[in-house]
Amino acid sequence: MHLRPNQQRRASRPMRLLVAASLFLAPAALASAPLDDEPAKEAESEEDKEEVLVLKGGEIHTGLGGVLRDATILVREGKIEAFGYDVDVPEDAEVVDVSGMRVYPGLIAVGSFGLFGSSGNLDDSVDPYNQNMTLALSAGITTAVDGNTVAKLKRGHVQGLVVNTSAFESLSYSNGNPQGQLKVEQDLKGAADYIRAYRAWEDEKKSNKEAKEPSKKGVDQKSLRILRGEVRPCFNADSRTDLLEIAHLAQRFGFRPIINGCREGWTVADELGRAGATAIVTPRSRRPKDESLLREGGSSIENAATLYSHGVNVVVVPASRGISLGGIVGTDLLHLPVEAGFAIRGGLPELAGLRSITIEAARVLGVDYRIGSIEVGKDADLIVTDGDLLHYQTFVQWAIVDGEIVYDKQAEMFFAHIRPRPESALAPAERMDAGEESPADAPEEEPVEETPEGETPDGETSGEGGGEEPQPSEDPEESEDPEESATTAGN
Amino acid sequence: MILSPLLLLGPMAAAPAAPVQGDLFVIKAPRVELGDGEVMEHAVILVEDGEIVTMGQDLPIERGIPVVELDEGQVVMPGLVNPYSRYGMSGGGYNDSRPQVMASAELYPSAAYKAFLENGVTTVGQYPAGQGIPGQAVAVRPRGDSSEEMIVEDGVYLKVVMGNNSSAKRNLRDGFKKADDHLEKVAKEREKFDKAQAKAKSDKKKSSSKSKATFTPPQADPRVQPFFDLREGKLRALVSIRNAASYAHLVDAIGDEEFEWHLRIPLTRDIDVFHVADEVGERGCFVLMEPLITLVPGTLRQRNLPAEFERAGAKLVLLPRSDSKAGFESFLEDVGVMIGAGLDRKAAVRAITHNPAAFMGLGDRLGTLSEGKRANLLIFSGDPFQPDTKLDAVMLDGKFVSGDMDQ
Repeated sequence: MHLRPNQQRRASRPMRLLVAASLFLAPAALASAPLDDEPAKEAESEEDKEEVLVLKGGEIHTGLGGVLRDATILVREGKIEAFGYDVDVPEDAEVVDVSGMRVYPGLIAVGSFGLFGSSGNLDDSVDPYNQNMTLALSAGITTAVDGNTVAKLKRGHVQGLVVNTSAFESLSYSNGNPQGQLKVEQDLKGAADYIRAYRAWEDEKKSNKEAKEPSKKGVDQKSLRILRGEVRPCFNADSRTDLLEIAHLAQRFGFRPIINGCREGWTVADELGRAGATAIVTPRSRRPKDESLLREGGSSIENAATLYSHGVNVVVVPASRGISLGGIVGTDLLHLPVEAGFAIRGGLPELAGLRSITIEAARVLGVDYRIGSIEVGKDADLIVTDGDLLHYQTFVQWAIVDGEIVYDKQAEMFFAHIRPRPESALAPAERMDAGEESPADAPEEEPVEETPEGETPDGETSGEGGGEEPQPSEDPEESEDPEESATTAGN
Repeated sequence: MILSPLLLLGPMAAAPAAPVQGDLFVIKAPRVELGDGEVMEHAVILVEDGEIVTMGQDLPIERGIPVVELDEGQVVMPGLVNPYSRYGMSGGGYNDSRPQVMASAELYPSAAYKAFLENGVTTVGQYPAGQGIPGQAVAVRPRGDSSEEMIVEDGVYLKVVMGNNSSAKRNLRDGFKKADDHLEKVAKEREKFDKAQAKAKSDKKKSSSKSKATFTPPQADPRVQPFFDLREGKLRALVSIRNAASYAHLVDAIGDEEFEWHLRIPLTRDIDVFHVADEVGERGCFVLMEPLITLVPGTLRQRNLPAEFERAGAKLVLLPRSDSKAGFESFLEDVGVMIGAGLDRKAAVRAITHNPAAFMGLGDRLGTLSEGKRANLLIFSGDPFQPDTKLDAVMLDGKFVSGDMDQ
């Protein structure tokens, strides 16, 4: 019922639906059908009532390129059951009107500390009401790596957080430690020889039953898993020399390295790309080049972009992996999207920027089958923002983990008072007169002025939306459908 | 000094001490806090052998019964019940699971217990020291020449300490697991015994010699019995939690196990338990906390957690802010501050009288003033929660044991 007006409006407006988006519509419709037709679940219907969450009217960014405007996401029992335009909303579903807002997959921090209030066995020691967890959610992070454990920021829960207990298989291969390098090479070679011998034996076995299975003795298990493609080794490397050597090692033995740091990766991006590497970078890290060397070096704002354009998958992390409430702000986990924004500033395509903190991060951690994008069947880890995720002005309004709203900006004390949502008690009762403030000084005030129409703070470049007052010029990055602001907020 | 105008003696003209010593007497009180939150005005309380026999408004008093008539401003309240104290006990405990330990074994009738009576506490729950599962608490009356005389009821609750760590959760889980293991062992033994019996029967069918054996189940580890008691409802648990997270871990550790449990939430430092106030309220369990305003951790935002939990539906029990004489002395004033800060006054009265008694399973004997309850009562010069009010007298089991009327 609620969807109908939206659909009509959709037809009348210029459409920018991407192809990828329409691909999801079919499975969405299919997926919802069998569950609805199931009459045998009478007993569980009570349970189901609380399990269905619907985000209605938002602009869905799937994280894979698809963008669906004024669309609906249906979440049942923690999984994305359907999304698109023809979603049947059950009567008893919890419906959140997110019109004018954007829905993204929850962000993934591939390194963190202090978010879970403890380390070690999270099931028995997590503090799920930890302030840092709430703050990380406010930054849009719904999954983080703590130690070597991938866990969800499932606020209020002590069970079901852990997604994967071995995030990284680290390997040290540094130019500064030739003996260590030799050992790694020997291990890999031993494993490669073993695999070759094993395959030969498998072939021989068919004709010769007497054939002897090659001995596993002395074969490094880790190397074996790497060469079999079960894990991807993670290296810490920044210098050009190290990166080159890792790239060559990877190509020699045929595995895809993950490289943490990768500061001078832009100088050897083609080699890394050929090696199928994934780079975990911090776009704002700064280090001058070693002046004793003639070749290029040091950090570059274009690092992420250069790597990406050479086929290296890019994951972004901030310089500090914790939540720091002191010192110079902006380099901790609270600013993960901003960090990705800086990669875009250096030339990384916007979609790659979004992917660098969602699906690419999930891939590196081996959890992309569950999280990292908005796809039917995946975990409902979603964030709802009031604007472009990668813009510094944007706030996360809701964070959802496993289909449960675990963060609501208006319900927490941290940012509730800044540009409160119109339905909030904190919202100003009266509309402010635009003439009272110089538009150049107070662009942030926009959403307040707009409150009756829409909740986006990204108030558009042109004034067609509300139509009443000429709006000050805004950040061009924010350009969006001008009619967005005309979407009615109430339901 | 105060007594002479107060006592309206009967025609028998007994000596001033007579009502106290006699088996039967009447208290005429202009205002009585009943303990359940209600107030009775112009109450007449008939006490016999330390128990309230009859109680009502303006009841006619039979001739010859000694009467203690209170002054117009005076207020009667049930004796305070402090269910969670180690005052008067000493020593530390262990960090593991010792649910069979009884705090009553530590009980010693020292002079320290006077501090309870002087401040209106007529029933005390004393718990064993230690982390983990340190043992079972005992309800005592803070007066007596021997520990036997002091004990009101033993094993009133099992103390459990829950933290955000695996050992605390293991203590609880393992306790029930051991109980299961024991049941399994008993079942196996019985099966074995039955088989042996059947075999013996068939063997000895011809020979008529009949030896009747009875099955004796194997002895349970003493640490197991309390967990059986928990399951069977003979024992309740008081779980001390550190923060909201340890509540979540507690619920996780309990799982599907069903037993009666209540919460001890220390407010002596800033704590984030408001996250789970609604959940706890829904459970409706007893919550033991201090009458203190706390801050949201890391901020300067004040919260009246006792009031929040009470409103959410939890049965509030208030404890002195410190387990010391100073804490006992300022207790009622502290409670008054909480009332000023939004705690319902009736709830506050319940939280220091009826609720703590009911928590220890003594609600049918004390904690309120009504027929059949112990005559444990306090006489105040005015509203008990006003700072200038004096505690005029303390009556324990029908006898004045402290205050100006104690003569």
